[in-house]
Amino acid sequence: MASQLIREWVGIQQFPAATQTKLLELLGKLKQEDVSTLTILVMGKGGVGKSSTVNSIVGERAVAVSAFQSEGPRPVMVSRTRAGFNLHIIDTPGLIEGGYVNFQTLEIIKRFLLDKTIDVLLYVDRLDTYRVDNLDKQIVKAITDSFGKEIWKRALVVLTHAQLSPPDGLEYEVFFARRSEALLKVVRSGAKIKRQDTWGANIPVVLVENSGRCNKNENEEKILPNGTAWIPNLVKTITDVTLNGSKAIKVDKKLIEGPNPNRKWKEFIPLIFAFQYFFIIKPIQKAIKNDIAREARPAWEMRDTGSPLRKY
Amino acid sequence: MPSFAASNHLLSPALAHSLTSRRRLPSSSSSQNPKFVPSVKCSLPSSNPTSDSPKTLNPTTIFTALKKPFSATAVAAASFSILLHFSPIELSGGGANPPGSGGGGGGWGDGGGGDSGGGGFWQRIFSAAPAIADEPQNQEWDSHGLPANIVVQLNKLSGFKKYKLSEILFFDRRRWATVGTEDSFFEMVSLRPGGVYTKAQLQKELETLATCGMFEKVDMEGKTNPDGTLNLTISFTESTWQSADKFRCINVGLMAQSKPIEMDPDMTDKEKLEYYRSQEKDYRRRIDRARPCLLPGPVHREILQMLREQGKVSARLLQKIRDRVQKWYHDEGYACAQVVNFGNLNTKEVVCEVVEGDITQLMIQFQDKLGNVVEGNTQLPVIRRELPKQLRQGHVFNIEAGKQALRNINSLALFSNIEVNPRPDEKNEGGIIVEIKLKELEQKQAEVSTEWSIVPGRGGRPTLASLQPGGTVSFEHKNIKGLNRSILGSVTTSNFLNPQDDLAFKLEYVHPYLDGVYNPRNRTLRASCFNSRKLSPVFTGGPGVDEVPPIWVDRAGLKANITENFTRQSKFTYGLVMEEVTTRDEGSHISPTGQRVLPSGGISADGPPTTLSGTGIDRMAFLQANITRDNTKYVNGAIVGQRNVFQLDQGLGIGSKFPFFNRHQLTCTGFFQLKQVEEGAGKPPPPVLVLHGHYGGCIGDLPSYDAFTLGGPYSVRGYNMGELGAARNILELAAELRVPVRNTHMYVFAEHGNDLGSSKLVKGNPTEVYRRLGHGSSYGFGLKFGLVRAEYAVDHNSGTGSVFLRFGERF
Repeated sequence: MASQLIREWVGIQQFPAATQTKLLELLGKLKQEDVSTLTILVMGKGGVGKSSTVNSIVGERAVAVSAFQSEGPRPVMVSRTRAGFNLHIIDTPGLIEGGYVNFQTLEIIKRFLLDKTIDVLLYVDRLDTYRVDNLDKQIVKAITDSFGKEIWKRALVVLTHAQLSPPDGLEYEVFFARRSEALLKVVRSGAKIKRQDTWGANIPVVLVENSGRCNKNENEEKILPNGTAWIPNLVKTITDVTLNGSKAIKVDKKLIEGPNPNRKWKEFIPLIFAFQYFFIIKPIQKAIKNDIAREARPAWEMRDTGSPLRKY
Repeated sequence: MPSFAASNHLLSPALAHSLTSRRRLPSSSSSQNPKFVPSVKCSLPSSNPTSDSPKTLNPTTIFTALKKPFSATAVAAASFSILLHFSPIELSGGGANPPGSGGGGGGWGDGGGGDSGGGGFWQRIFSAAPAIADEPQNQEWDSHGLPANIVVQLNKLSGFKKYKLSEILFFDRRRWATVGTEDSFFEMVSLRPGGVYTKAQLQKELETLATCGMFEKVDMEGKTNPDGTLNLTISFTESTWQSADKFRCINVGLMAQSKPIEMDPDMTDKEKLEYYRSQEKDYRRRIDRARPCLLPGPVHREILQMLREQGKVSARLLQKIRDRVQKWYHDEGYACAQVVNFGNLNTKEVVCEVVEGDITQLMIQFQDKLGNVVEGNTQLPVIRRELPKQLRQGHVFNIEAGKQALRNINSLALFSNIEVNPRPDEKNEGGIIVEIKLKELEQKQAEVSTEWSIVPGRGGRPTLASLQPGGTVSFEHKNIKGLNRSILGSVTTSNFLNPQDDLAFKLEYVHPYLDGVYNPRNRTLRASCFNSRKLSPVFTGGPGVDEVPPIWVDRAGLKANITENFTRQSKFTYGLVMEEVTTRDEGSHISPTGQRVLPSGGISADGPPTTLSGTGIDRMAFLQANITRDNTKYVNGAIVGQRNVFQLDQGLGIGSKFPFFNRHQLTCTGFFQLKQVEEGAGKPPPPVLVLHGHYGGCIGDLPSYDAFTLGGPYSVRGYNMGELGAARNILELAAELRVPVRNTHMYVFAEHGNDLGSSKLVKGNPTEVYRRLGHGSSYGFGLKFGLVRAEYAVDHNSGTGSVFLRFGERF
């Protein structure tokens, strides 16, 4: 993957100086840990701001954003390099189509990811959606089915449209906590993460505001209503997740196609065949013999079963 | 007591049948001949012995159930009027028997006996009776010409007149009372009120009565009526013998009838004594030689009870015993059995002599269309093996065995007409020859049937240009070598102008009696070459999904299997299948993947793969086995019992991508009778609970066309075929409660089908791609009308119900 010519990460320069400093600091930290390549997979429903988030991280308009429809069902990989550090962000089309999880899209994404290693998964949703429904669970389930449960150890939930005033006069923090808790619950049930797996409760939730009208602090950094500059925060969380000790997800053929069901138990077929012969066919034959023996015969047949009574 | 009774024998006339036999014998000349010895008489058990309904059993009704209504036209064309009929043999002079009346009597005379002198009274009543009854009917009668209301002795009547009897009275001298016509003795008299008789006939009748052994004394006298007719009074004294406390029933069939030696009228007393003694000894020997008969213990005890209650053995009692014994035989289907004699009277033991109807010969005969006897093509062992053992030589003829034989032979589907006929053996008195007459079906048949189908043209309207000539060409060569081997082939297309579109062909060779025709093991080899085209239920949309482009699965190949029949219903089939499976889309183009409709309305061809090879064409060879255990039976029309089916397809690793798999299905269905009911025609069927389970699974390579589908009338009712999913392993459970209503039944049911989470184990996960749930339940109720079921089923996934009309049974 690195064989292609990777563009220099120029977008980083247009971040405010404070952000730049923090980002470079984090990259340095990663390099310290011998991580020179970072692949981020961005997934989620359509129209929640996946592409915008990618653009925000990269700092340039790397992927086209359309408000109403994702532009074609193909994933796009944005690769940037900075001081020997390679950053790959894979933007994917929305997984929902017509009220269902679009498995075809998922299939395409999987094929696109073939032979790549996913370091971090960004599961993107909106903060300003008040409800979670079955569809969210379906997506989580689809992702889990595709990449395995382990991927949630390398995941962070990203909530976009963070700049909002919560309804009913709720406090922003309370609203955020509730929303993230609801979403995490869905993630945990969709991914079938057991209650005793503590890491399940610790999937980090990060807020993002991609809008150009985002509030900024004195350092010209984009900030959230609670005052944190979100880009450094996001990258920091990504770094933390990368370094949390879990294994990156290597996408290979086996992972995409799952264990080939046609191969499963195949070597036992002769044994199964023998079992069926001796423990199903034979007993049925015996049962038939029993039936014949117990068959209610008409009286005339019973009375005269022997050989001819007399010869002529 | 008549002289003959001295031998302590009572040869009892077969009274129950005398009426019918009288009606049957038409010519007086033959009946006057005392040589007719009705040694055997065979009639179907009929509740009313005097009923003159034709007793030709027409079992066609029995066989309509066996015949498939839509069977091959060749079979349907053949006249299937199978008659199990027991026609009486015609006497030498009685050729004029009309067929209708021929069935009526079933009485047989045997013209063999030459000893007219000692023939005995009971034969005479037989021969004399018909003559008197039939001859003078429709003839003028003469007035007695005497004053009214005077009593006239028989010998005072004029020998030249024909008297009309307006009334016949019986007067029992012992009881000193007049007995009515319901008395059992009435049967013995062949005279009937309203009949016209001459004096000679009346005298003959009197003589018959006097010598039959039932009466010690019998007299006849007439009383004149003002209208010229006579009232006849028969006064009698019943014979009685000393009481007996033992009863024995022996089968004297095929034994020579005891023929009394002429007794010299001027024998001395000593000679007479010796004569009696020798007769007794003869009789003792006869009893010892005779075989025990089939009469079971309970009936035996019943008769003993009768003897004990009566005290003295009277003629009436003997009649009663005879009726009871004969009734048992006839009820049990021994139609040819008959009580011919009571012997050993005046001792402690009553001996009932029965001719049971032993089969002396089994004859199989072929007839051509005109009824001429011909040499048949079918080999005799083929027919013999279908006959129950009880129909062979040396067994007692039973009508049920005859019916069984008829059914078995009919199931060979080789004959257009089958008759099973018992007839008396002329050479062996008391023996029965079972004749099986068969008309063979045409061996070679070819047929072309055409049909025009009107297909919707542009705009959905049928147009003339779209009329397509279609039809079937078939040929059949049956019963090759007379061993019931057959070759049949057929080609069907819906459009002869363009047959490559949908040409269905089948060529099959059937080879029964694989282990030899004499081997009781019943294995049949079938080899066939086939093709078929089916719509794959795997590529079906779930609820709310627009039309999924269909995938047609074409199979063509060779198949050879061996079927071993254990019973009529239970069998084991195993064989080899080699086939090529091609999957095509609507336009008959080979399509390696299923298609799906995009929300935008476009069609994308990236659906689940249709074949194992990924090319749209699979070739494979596999072993196929199917074992069916079926002990279901009908209880008053309701099916009760158990059916288990195990089916196995074992891949051999031969074919495209070396398919190696084990695909298995186990179906268990139990029909549980919830209430004991009395069995019999017209009785209501019991309520039945049906429990059904079906497991299907596959290990190894599984192409989508072999995936198990859920949903449909034979899977989970209330859903369309495949609406619930296509999976690697499935489990279906169903319960149905059938409650009889009038002569049909209503039912309620609940069903569930589940993919056991194995939908994703089918390549491409067609269940998910076409948005199916993978499981579903339904419940509902329905009513059965003949073959059609009308049911209302609620689909539990969506909660909506709908009404369905279906043919045939779900289970």
